[in-house]
Amino acid sequence: MGKASFVVRRTLQLVVTLWAVGTVLFGLFRLMPGDPTSYVISSQMTQEARRQLIESYGLNDPLYIQYFRFLENLVVLNFGQSFHSNQPVTDVIATYLPNTLVLMLTAFVIAYAIGITLGVLSGWYRGSRFERSTVITALTARSVPTFYVGLIVLWIFGATFGVIPMSGMTSLGTGGQSTGFLDMVFTMDFVRHLIAPAAVLAFYYMGYPLLIMRSSMLEVLSEDFIDVCRAKGLKERTIMFKHAARNALLPIITAAAIALGYAVGGSVLIETVFAWPGIGREMVRAVLRRDFPVAQGTFIVLASTIIFLNFLADLAYGYLDPRVTYD
Amino acid sequence: MVLSDEDVNRRKFLKATTAGGTAGLTALAGCSGGDGGDGGDGGDGGDGNDSSEDGSDGGDEAGNEGSNLPTYTYVNNAQSYNPPRHDAINLIASQFGDELGLDMEVDVLEWGTLFSRVSQEYNYSFATWHTFFVSEPVTELNNLFNSGNTDPGEGNYSGYENPDLDELMGNYLGEPDADTRIDQCHEIQQILMDDVPTMPITQMPQAAIFNSNQVSNWQADLANGFNSYWTMINLEMEGDTSTLKGYWPETLSTMNVLGHNDESKHVYQFNMMYDFLVQLNNNAEPDPEVSLATDWNRVDETTMEYTIRTDHSWHDGEDLTAEDVAFTYNYINDNEVPLYSTQSQYIDSAEVVDEETVRINMAEALGPFNLAVANLLPIIPEHMWADRDNPSQANIEEPVGSGPMMFDYWEQGSEFGMVKFDDHFAPVSFEERFWRVIPEASTVWENLINGELNYEPFGRIDRQLDQNQDNENIGTQFQTAPTFWMFTPNERQEGLGDVQMRKALVEAIPRTAIVDQILFGFPERGFNIVSPAFGPLHTEDVTEYEESIDAARSRLEEAGYTWNDDGAIQAPE
Repeated sequence: MGKASFVVRRTLQLVVTLWAVGTVLFGLFRLMPGDPTSYVISSQMTQEARRQLIESYGLNDPLYIQYFRFLENLVVLNFGQSFHSNQPVTDVIATYLPNTLVLMLTAFVIAYAIGITLGVLSGWYRGSRFERSTVITALTARSVPTFYVGLIVLWIFGATFGVIPMSGMTSLGTGGQSTGFLDMVFTMDFVRHLIAPAAVLAFYYMGYPLLIMRSSMLEVLSEDFIDVCRAKGLKERTIMFKHAARNALLPIITAAAIALGYAVGGSVLIETVFAWPGIGREMVRAVLRRDFPVAQGTFIVLASTIIFLNFLADLAYGYLDPRVTYD
Repeated sequence: MVLSDEDVNRRKFLKATTAGGTAGLTALAGCSGGDGGDGGDGGDGGDGNDSSEDGSDGGDEAGNEGSNLPTYTYVNNAQSYNPPRHDAINLIASQFGDELGLDMEVDVLEWGTLFSRVSQEYNYSFATWHTFFVSEPVTELNNLFNSGNTDPGEGNYSGYENPDLDELMGNYLGEPDADTRIDQCHEIQQILMDDVPTMPITQMPQAAIFNSNQVSNWQADLANGFNSYWTMINLEMEGDTSTLKGYWPETLSTMNVLGHNDESKHVYQFNMMYDFLVQLNNNAEPDPEVSLATDWNRVDETTMEYTIRTDHSWHDGEDLTAEDVAFTYNYINDNEVPLYSTQSQYIDSAEVVDEETVRINMAEALGPFNLAVANLLPIIPEHMWADRDNPSQANIEEPVGSGPMMFDYWEQGSEFGMVKFDDHFAPVSFEERFWRVIPEASTVWENLINGELNYEPFGRIDRQLDQNQDNENIGTQFQTAPTFWMFTPNERQEGLGDVQMRKALVEAIPRTAIVDQILFGFPERGFNIVSPAFGPLHTEDVTEYEESIDAARSRLEEAGYTWNDDGAIQAPE
């Protein structure tokens, strides 16, 4: 089977997977206990007013009608309107997702750059004190709750030394000064606010590529071609990075694709601790408040991204390692 | 005998409240929500804030299965939604089970589910939450206890029925004379405190928490406490501070003054952005000096006339006229705006008499019209709203009002800002006010102490307040609120229709322990359904209940209840 038919087949799978995800999401939110209108209505409303409100959201229609309406809208990427803000869900996503992406991608790039490098080195220097300390660091990074690290960072560098801002993406009271998202992102104030949450997240994410890279390196280093490289008299540094590390990179591709997908969902804990207005917090808020349209929309965007990035990772495998076929 | 802290079994107390130790952690997950900290539950889950609001974490049981009464279910909010209230409910339930021999179970529910279970389905035995903000008590009491409101969702979830009380409340609501209403209100309280369909556990305080180097002169009003219009127009800024800097644990939902859900985070903003026909001073009296209407009179039982300021304008520069006022009342009425459905019930129509006079015709006589309607309906500009067909679901980006603060910016999830409206008749002394969204309480306190924030509008009553209130940069002021944590038995359930049983339950609630140990001594023990905050409408002359297990058991014994060898209560045949 060639690459073209692989792409067609996977695209069809992707559509079916998305339909399944959408159906599960629709069902899950309807099965959840709780009345979606309980957060929209006021205690002061009359019973008739409540009934009218429920009707206006279409929540009194039979489930199958709601389901088909949901699928119909999904096809045209219309996620509906938030019960709470009355905004189109696409606007809600467009408001919060860029904030999350800037934070998560910054953390991701830092984490994978440092994690992969340390993974290569710890694999290369197996049995050394350096390897032991990097493994311990990686395990610690993965084990300590991120919000705990975040709070400690805030306490030490924010409250005690005052070198990092305590909350948000910009200084308090400066809202409304930027003309747009990009205008805000390219300011020193924003960068100052980005450093701490990005560093805490990067510390957490770093452990995964580090450990994967290390074990992958150990496997590659036992291969015959490494001995051949040495026999050819290549420099150790060249063998380590140009031959061993490049061959050990493949598992990282899948890990990175999945991690990147999840990054779109943000990090609720970090967004909460650092008061970062990201999609993660909004997603949780939507679920807890039974704002079905926002919850469904954000989860579908998240699921689509993960599915799509996995698809790209599969394609990348074949490109990076010619031995991998598309059968 | 008043139950001392020591009388509440220590092991039991710890068992009921140990989960409190994890409060800080669970709240971090963005789950401090709604008014978890403890503003009213105002239909929000409040956030409020706060927000927040996770699902069930199972229940607790104090089984006395040999009882000939049914198993009673005390519905509890999730620990993460409101940690102290969660602990208090567990404590009360264990008292009922262990000390009175009831067969108890605690059902922990997400806020929306809990609210529906109690107010819509009546599927509960006992419920406790923070009552809603009101500026007129009997309007709410009539909603809660009128015998005609007992169908699901109509308001009377306790199932209490008393035709005499219905008549009395009806008379009160139709009575134009304020002094007569005071006497009627006293009688209403006395009946309710005799029959205890609901009992306040704690009278909650309204709290002003601020940076004392930057802002002063905090005066509360009745309904909105230290976040009221009256508070804001009387605040004084210290030094060179010109910005009022607050926070909220979660973002606002909307800029639509007719389309929000009455959560305090919205009410506090719209109260400053819009004018109301009548505004209250800190004695809960309508004050023409600071109101849009400079005078008013009752033409007859069902007609009010208001004299409107003729020199006022909207934030966009258009003149605010009597036509705008009449339009607002007719528009809200004609469009059946859900948020104001209770007020609309009393409005028939509004008409312009002359350029400074508006006449409002009531659908039925309402004595306290100013408090129950005119003080609550925001006046909206006709030129902005006339073409909107579905006002409650309109997506408003830049609201135009006429209040002392104008909309400046709203960065969703991050910050909301307003600036001073210089032409207002009751100007504020600060140039701008912003609210930053900060979910984490410790960050808020750091910012308050170092002056990055200078007031704490959320009014979170918690350990951080207890620990920081003596800081040299922090100022606090407390005032009894009209709201309370209520305890409501469902009289539809077997055994709970018996008034002696209800009284015994009230006596068994460890109110002192809840106030002192769970709420750090900030509230007062609950004692009357109409709080002292209502001024002359409140009376001390109501039945008082001891806080004593012995008194509760004696009362039950006298009513013919017995206990079997296992300690399970037996109702008289």
